[in-house]
Amino acid sequence: MAEVRLVDVSKRFGGLAAVDRVSLHVPEGSFYTLLGPSGCGKTTTLRIVAGFYPPDRGDVFIGTTRVNDLPPYLRQTAMVFQEYALFPHMTVFENVAYGLRMRHVGSPDLARRVAAALSLVGLIGVERTFPSRLSGGQQQRVALARALVVEPEVLLLDEPLSNLDAKLRVRVRTEIRQLQRQLGKTVLYVTHDQEEALAISDRIAVMDRGRVQQIGTPVEIYHHPANRFVADFVGLANFVEAEVAGPDTLRVGKVILRAPLDGTRQHAAQGGVAGGRVTLVLRPEAIRLHRLAPQADNVLPGQIRTASFLGTLARYWVEAAGLTWIVDVPSPGETVYGGEVFLEIPRDRMHILRES
Amino acid sequence: MAEGSWEVTQSRGQAVALRVGDPGLLAAFVAVGALLLGFVLYPTLRVISYPALVDYLAVPHNARWIAAMRNSLMMMLLSTGSATVVGFLYAYATTREDLPGRRVFQTLSLLPLFSPAFMVAFAYILMFGRQGLITKTLLGLDVNIFGWHGLWLVQTVAFFPYAALIIGQVLEAINPTLEHAARGLGADEWTLFRTVTVPLARPGLAAAMLLVAISVLADFGNAVVIAGNLPLLATEAWYRIEGLADLTGAAVVVSLLLLPTAGLFILERVWVSRRLYTAITGRGSRLVRPATPWYFRWPLVAFCTVVAVLILLVYAAVLAGAFARTWGYNWTLTLDHWRLALVQAGGQLVNSVKVGVASALLTSIVALVAAFLTSRRRYRVERALDVLAVLPAAMPGVFIGIGFLLAFNQPPLVLGGTAWILILALTFWHIPFGYQAATAGLKQIDRSIEEAAADLGASGLRVLTDVYLPLLRGAFAASFVTAFIRAVTNLSIVVFLVTPRNLVATYSILSMISGGFWGAAAALTTALLGVTFLAVASARLAISRGLRGLPVG
Repeated sequence: MAEVRLVDVSKRFGGLAAVDRVSLHVPEGSFYTLLGPSGCGKTTTLRIVAGFYPPDRGDVFIGTTRVNDLPPYLRQTAMVFQEYALFPHMTVFENVAYGLRMRHVGSPDLARRVAAALSLVGLIGVERTFPSRLSGGQQQRVALARALVVEPEVLLLDEPLSNLDAKLRVRVRTEIRQLQRQLGKTVLYVTHDQEEALAISDRIAVMDRGRVQQIGTPVEIYHHPANRFVADFVGLANFVEAEVAGPDTLRVGKVILRAPLDGTRQHAAQGGVAGGRVTLVLRPEAIRLHRLAPQADNVLPGQIRTASFLGTLARYWVEAAGLTWIVDVPSPGETVYGGEVFLEIPRDRMHILRES
Repeated sequence: MAEGSWEVTQSRGQAVALRVGDPGLLAAFVAVGALLLGFVLYPTLRVISYPALVDYLAVPHNARWIAAMRNSLMMMLLSTGSATVVGFLYAYATTREDLPGRRVFQTLSLLPLFSPAFMVAFAYILMFGRQGLITKTLLGLDVNIFGWHGLWLVQTVAFFPYAALIIGQVLEAINPTLEHAARGLGADEWTLFRTVTVPLARPGLAAAMLLVAISVLADFGNAVVIAGNLPLLATEAWYRIEGLADLTGAAVVVSLLLLPTAGLFILERVWVSRRLYTAITGRGSRLVRPATPWYFRWPLVAFCTVVAVLILLVYAAVLAGAFARTWGYNWTLTLDHWRLALVQAGGQLVNSVKVGVASALLTSIVALVAAFLTSRRRYRVERALDVLAVLPAAMPGVFIGIGFLLAFNQPPLVLGGTAWILILALTFWHIPFGYQAATAGLKQIDRSIEEAAADLGASGLRVLTDVYLPLLRGAFAASFVTAFIRAVTNLSIVVFLVTPRNLVATYSILSMISGGFWGAAAALTTALLGVTFLAVASARLAISRGLRGLPVG
């Protein structure tokens, strides 16, 4: 097992900065996810680690070795491709055995290791089958087995679940996570699916336009986004432009809200300066919906414009203080509201971003 | 747009890491580059630079050459026009699912593609000439088929299949929903044809026209058999050498011929083929085309029948000629022609097959390796290799023939008099076909498969042998058979490079025709046809066997 470190890595394609001064530290044995929209540089970063592109600038370390100039197969990494990239003219066995053959592993050992890798991913009895006869989920497992069989220090996964249907995606991602824990492998995982990233990662690096926007645990990323991009990309959020009206006080239009301005560590110094502009980030489930006005701070009277029943929650679009607020009510049962309501915004669920 | 350019730049970056510094690939690159420089560029330059400047300057004063140029261009316009129109109508008819007999019509139009170049001309002399079975024996007419009108008819029949094939692919790709939509909006069949079918087929028409024009200009086989006294550039070069041993004159003539063919070829490459590509991709709709109304269907069937009869007459004439005692006079059956043909030229037929196999094998291998090496287009040298690999398609066979004659009868490499000069000339003339087939095949294989192999430890050449070679078996077999058939049926290159020790069948057939031994010529042609059809049949078998169990795509 080994850690992976990227130090100030940059890569340009023509005039486009695909990866721009990216530094990452993937601890040994951790499940680390690169998350971002398409074109954000996450796949390029992964490919730089795999050795398909040399970085223009910066260094890549696997363990203590600087690998910038090593070809892919000498890096102790193995990659699982988005399209699986199984060799269509080889059977499942031959596919999985390919990496071992390239390493001149003798045949008794080879057969044993291929069988072990296949049973690890739960595939038995398909050794002599061609990949095209397998389902998408099975192909995915073959790709995983082919990568695992060479016993890489680091496993690289490039959107491995994007070709599976929704239910299978959830099942396979859980299996991948269990397998990673069981083997203790370092995993670098690329996805554009924020839910997937939150569900399986130890740490997430959110990327946009070639740059790392934030690195943190799933909880940090979701509840304390570093900027508007992260807040918008991960989960759903209400963004409310506000003006600082006084100590721990914000003005939204004509409404005054109590907010933990001094509580935000990095902005403590400016926290109470009147006239400053901030953005309030509110997750839909952080806002409470009441039929009758509650005795609490930060209560806004409003009107439900649209309601949408989603099973585990009910989602409302509520007009209040001249804005539309998205509010989620968990486990709504059979109740869907309409008409006049009151919104309560608890102070401890507010996340505040400075205007940059 | 942004997505697309992103893909391109991504694959470029990748080439650097995967390809640079792989010694096996570097060696392959140098080898293929040297072969293409030595056997494509060097003979070309040798032909162009062989005559002195004064020889070129004297061209306007040479009345015969001016006439040859004029006639060649005239034949190009006439035959291209007629072959394209016939090809378009034929393709339009045979792409309608409800046309009676469309499969038969389609198969028949492919036959000329597997046949020797001069065969149509020879057959039509047998049918419509002064001793013609139809003109003299059945109709009692005295017809002289030699000259431009005979050549026009022959070239139309010989080259319309190319047009039909290309246009057919384009028409086939037109989504039937468009036709249903037009019908739904109130268009009748004629309006549909005029406003939907023809505009959508236009890039195909243009590509077909240019390809046929190049073939007509370069057509040596039919011209030498049926053009009579009509001077043409393609045949003039041979007359210069055969009659007058005038190498300089021959080099000037073929250089003059190269100008229009190369021009048309460049036009095709930069202007048409790109549009064609977008037009023929993206099939997938299973919808049936709307029914063809009777007033369209029956005229189309009648038209296809006439064309099909014209094709069938070619084979009927040659087959009959091989067994009739004295064509035009004595119609009793005999096997004498076969005896003469096989005694005199049996060894040459075997020689043809040997040369064909050797050159087809070389063509397919060099083309596949070249396609693999240039598939990334990262560096200038790769693009240069790409240009070299398609360049021979711009050259008429007679140009290549004279090129090899001039280039390899002197040091540094003397091949004259050996079978190798013939094999190599045919090999490198056919490289573009194999190269384009391999390039198209490579494009269909996802790039990540190569990356996966490299990730697991395969070197550059291992990727070729482990991944691409098995996946391109079909393309390889197709390119081998195409190259083989073109090699054994070739006349335009062969006439310049055979020596008495290395004769091949097509050359002997030409000698027999011009010597008046029509029966033997017909017998030998039939035998040659047997070889090519056998090759096609075994290739189909091999492909269907070899690809069993292998996924498509």
